[in-house]
Amino acid sequence: MLIQLLALLALTAPALWLLRPHRWRHAGWLAALAPAVVTGWLLSQLGAVSQGSALSEHYAWSQALGLALDLRLDGLSLFFGLIIAGMGTAIAVYAGYYFERSSSLGYFYGLLFLFMTSMLGLVWADNLLALFVFWEGTSITSYLLISFKLTDSNALEGARRALVVTGLGALAMLGGFVLLGQMAGTYSISRLLALPAGTLTQHALFVPMLTLVLLGAFTKSAQFPFHFWLPGAMAAPTPASAYLHSATMVKAGLYLLARLHPALAESPVWFWALFVVGGITMLTGALIALRQHDLKAILAYATVSQLGVLVMLLAFEIKLAAVAAVVGILAHALYKGPLFMVAGIVDHATGTRDIRKLAGLARRLPLLGAAATLAAISMAGIIPTFGFLAKELLLENFFALIEAGQSQIGWLGLAATVIAGALFVAYSLVILWEAFFRRKPELKPAKIEHAPSPLFVLPVLALTLVGAAIPFFLTAIENTLFAAPVAAITAAPAELHLALWHGWTPIFLTSLLAIALGGAIFALRGPVRKLFASGIQLSGTRIFDGVVDGLYALAGWSTRTLQGSSFPTQISIPLLAAAGVVLYAFSMNLVADLRVDWNALPTFYEVVLPLMAVVATLVIARAQSRLSAIISLGLVGVVVLLIYVFFSAPDLALTQFLVEVLTLVLLVLVFYRIPNHAYPKQPKHRSMKYLLISAAVAVWGFGMALVAAGEPLFPLISDFFLLNSVGAAHGGNIVNVILVDFRGFDTLGEISVMVVAALGGYALLRASRMRPIEPEEDFEEPYDA
Amino acid sequence: MPEIYLSLLDRILTPVLLMLAVIFLLAGHNAPGGGFIAGLVVATAFLMQILARGDQFVRRLIGTYLQPAMGVGLLIALFSALTGIGNYGVFFQGIWWKISLGDFVLEFGSPTTFDIGVFLVVSAFVTSYLLELSRPAERAAK
Repeated sequence: MLIQLLALLALTAPALWLLRPHRWRHAGWLAALAPAVVTGWLLSQLGAVSQGSALSEHYAWSQALGLALDLRLDGLSLFFGLIIAGMGTAIAVYAGYYFERSSSLGYFYGLLFLFMTSMLGLVWADNLLALFVFWEGTSITSYLLISFKLTDSNALEGARRALVVTGLGALAMLGGFVLLGQMAGTYSISRLLALPAGTLTQHALFVPMLTLVLLGAFTKSAQFPFHFWLPGAMAAPTPASAYLHSATMVKAGLYLLARLHPALAESPVWFWALFVVGGITMLTGALIALRQHDLKAILAYATVSQLGVLVMLLAFEIKLAAVAAVVGILAHALYKGPLFMVAGIVDHATGTRDIRKLAGLARRLPLLGAAATLAAISMAGIIPTFGFLAKELLLENFFALIEAGQSQIGWLGLAATVIAGALFVAYSLVILWEAFFRRKPELKPAKIEHAPSPLFVLPVLALTLVGAAIPFFLTAIENTLFAAPVAAITAAPAELHLALWHGWTPIFLTSLLAIALGGAIFALRGPVRKLFASGIQLSGTRIFDGVVDGLYALAGWSTRTLQGSSFPTQISIPLLAAAGVVLYAFSMNLVADLRVDWNALPTFYEVVLPLMAVVATLVIARAQSRLSAIISLGLVGVVVLLIYVFFSAPDLALTQFLVEVLTLVLLVLVFYRIPNHAYPKQPKHRSMKYLLISAAVAVWGFGMALVAAGEPLFPLISDFFLLNSVGAAHGGNIVNVILVDFRGFDTLGEISVMVVAALGGYALLRASRMRPIEPEEDFEEPYDA
Repeated sequence: MPEIYLSLLDRILTPVLLMLAVIFLLAGHNAPGGGFIAGLVVATAFLMQILARGDQFVRRLIGTYLQPAMGVGLLIALFSALTGIGNYGVFFQGIWWKISLGDFVLEFGSPTTFDIGVFLVVSAFVTSYLLELSRPAERAAK
C-alpha cells in the first residue's frame, strides 16, 4: 500500500501540471485530494501501529549494492508521514488561492507533489541507500522550488546555496551510510537498529561514521554553522516555504537523528555534538530573528532556532527528552506552517512583508488575525496552547536531568532554554503587535489592495485550530499519536501521561519567567534591535559566497593554464600525461613479460597498411591546403578500417567507415567557415616541439599495444560473452549484445551524455545568434545573518 | 549549395540508405549492425540531403523532430531497461518474445527496443550537429 500511495503522489505531479489548474478558481481542492487520501489512510493505520505492529514492504532494486526499496511504516514514520501528508493537504488548498490563476500554478503543483513523494519516501524508507535517494529527491525539488522565480537573482543564489550546502551534507552522509553499512553488515535500517547494543558505538570507525552522518543531518536541518541557507531559501513562493522550509524538509535531519537514535545515542560524541550544536543554533536563530523586519525572515530564523531546540533534545537518551522532541515537532509544524501561510496572505493582500509598513491588520482581516493570534501565542508558548505544552516538556527534561544528578548539563540547558524561550515570546509578540494590532506603522503604511477570500484563510485556520485543540484531547491521543514515535526513538515501549496543567510547579514558574522576560524584551524592542544591528554581523552567506567565488577563480586559473592558448597545447597536455605514465612503467620495469615473437613474419597486409598510414600522415604534415590535409586524414581512417576488415571485425569496420565519412564532411563544413588564408609557416623550434610530443605519444601507443598483446593482467571476460551471447542474450552479434545487453547500463549512460552534448552543442552553435544578452541588472542584497 | 548530380544521386541513395538503416537496426542483434550503426547510416542519408539540397531544406523537413527524437529515444531506452524490474525485479534484465510466422520466427525483446532508443538518439544527435555546422557562416552570424 505504501508504494501505491507514493505512486499516486508521483503521478499526481505531472497530471496536475498537464491539467493547467490555473484555469479554475478552486483548483486547490482538487489538488488536495491525493494528500488527503494519504492522510486518511495513515490515520486508519494509527490504531494498529500504536499497538506496536509495523507494516513492511520489500521491492528488490540492486542486490549487488545492498540497495532495495524497503518501506516500513512504524510509529515514527507514521508520525512524520501524518505531518507531511496533513500539512500537504492544507498547503495544496492554500497554494491554489495563493497563485490565483497565475499560469505557473501547474508547475508549482508538479514540484510540490514530487517533493511530497520524496519526503514520504524518505520517512518510510527502511534502507539507508533508498533513504539517501529520497533525501536527494527532496534537495532537488527544494532547489527547483526556491528558484521558482527564474528572473529573480536572489532566488537563484538562495537556491544554489541551499542545494550546495544540503548537497555537500548529503554526500558526506552517503559516505557515513556506507561506513555504517560496512560496520553493521546491512543497509536495512530495522535490522541495523536490532543489532545488540554497542556493536556500532564500540567500532573503530564509529566517530568518522557519526561525523559524516551528522553532517548530513545538520546541513539539512539548518544547524549552526550551516543555518544560513534557510533564510536564503525564503525566496521560494510562500506555500513552499511554509511546507518545505518549516514543516517538513528541514525536519528530515531530525527524522534521521530520531531514527538512528537507538543505535548511536549511547556515545558521548553523539551527546556533545547534538547538545552543543543544537544549543548554539537555538540561541543564534532566536537572536537573529529579533533583528529582522521581513515577516518571512523572522519566521525563518525562528525556525532555525526551533530546529536547534529539537536537535538538542535528541541528544539525550531519557524518555522525557524524546517525548518533548516528538511533541515539539508536531507543535512546531502546527504553528510555524500557519504563520508562514499568514505571511503569504499578508504579502498577497498588501504587497509587502516588511513589518515596519504594516499595522492593524487584525481589524480589517479578522479571520486572518484570529489564525495569526492562535499560531503566534502557540509559538510564544503561552498557556493553554500546544506550544506551551511543548515548552513545559522541554523544561521538564532539564529539571529531570538536574534531579538525576547531571546538574551542570541540566542548568546549562535550562538557562539557554529560558533565554531562547524569552526571545520566542518577544518575536511572537513583535509579529502580533506590529502587524496585527498596533494602530500606526513606523514607515509609510501599506494598504490592503486585495483582501483574501475566506477560503484562502481556511486552510491556515484549520491547521491552527487542530493545533489549538490538541492540548484539550491529550488523553485521547497521547498513546495513539505520541507513544509510538517515542517508543521508536528510545527503543523501549512507552506509555505517556501528558497534561496541560500540573499546578504551580517549578517548571510552570520557569515558564512564566521566560514569558515575563520575553515581555520585557518586547517592551524594550527598540533599543534591543539597535543593539543587535550594531553588533558584529557574522554572515555565513558571505563566507559561503567567498568559498564559491574562490572555487570559480581556481577553475578559471586551471582552465587558463591547462586549456588556454592554442589547440595543440591543449591536446598535448593530456596526451603527454598519458604517455608519461606508460614511459614510467616501462622505465621502472613494472611491465613484466612482454610476449613478442621476433621470428614471426608479417603478412602482406600488415606491411602495406601501416606503410599507407605513414605516407598519409606525412602528407598531412606537409600539406599546403586544408582540404588535402583532411583528405589524407580520411586515408588514415581508411587504413584503420581495412585493418578491422582483415582482422574480421565487421561491426567495427562499419562504424569506422560511417564515422570516417561523417567526420570528413564535418571537417570540410567546419573549415569552410574559417577564412581560407594559407597556413602560417611554423617556426622551427615549435615544429621540433610538436615532433617530440608526437614521438612520445607514438611510444605510448606502441607500448600499450605491446602490453595488450602480452599476458592478460586479468581473466578475460570475453569468454563469458562468447558463451552466453546466443543462449542467454538471444543474439549472434556479440558486439551488439554487449552494447544493448551485457553492458546496457554503459550504453544508457553514453546516450544520456550524447543528449546532454547535443543540447550543449546546440546552444553553443547558436550562441552567436542569441546575442546581444541583456545587461545584468543590479539586484538587492538578500537578507542574511 | 545544391548540386545537380548529387541531387539526382540522392533520390536513389537516400531511400537505399534509409532501408539499409532499418535492416541494420532490426538484424543487428545477430548480424553486423545495431542501433548505433543504423543511426550513423541515417545521419549519412541526411548528410547527403544537406549536401544536395542545402541545410534549409533538411531543416524544414526534419529540424523540429530532432530534439524530441533524442528525448523520446532516451525514454524508450530507459523504459526498456525498467521493464526488467517490472518482470524480474532486475534492472536491464532482458525480456524476449517469439513471434512465429510460419517457418519464420522473429525474436523481439527489450534489448531490441533499447537498441531502437539508441538508434533514435544517435541519428538525431549526429544529424543535429550536421545541420548546425552546415549552416553557412554568414547566416549563422545573423
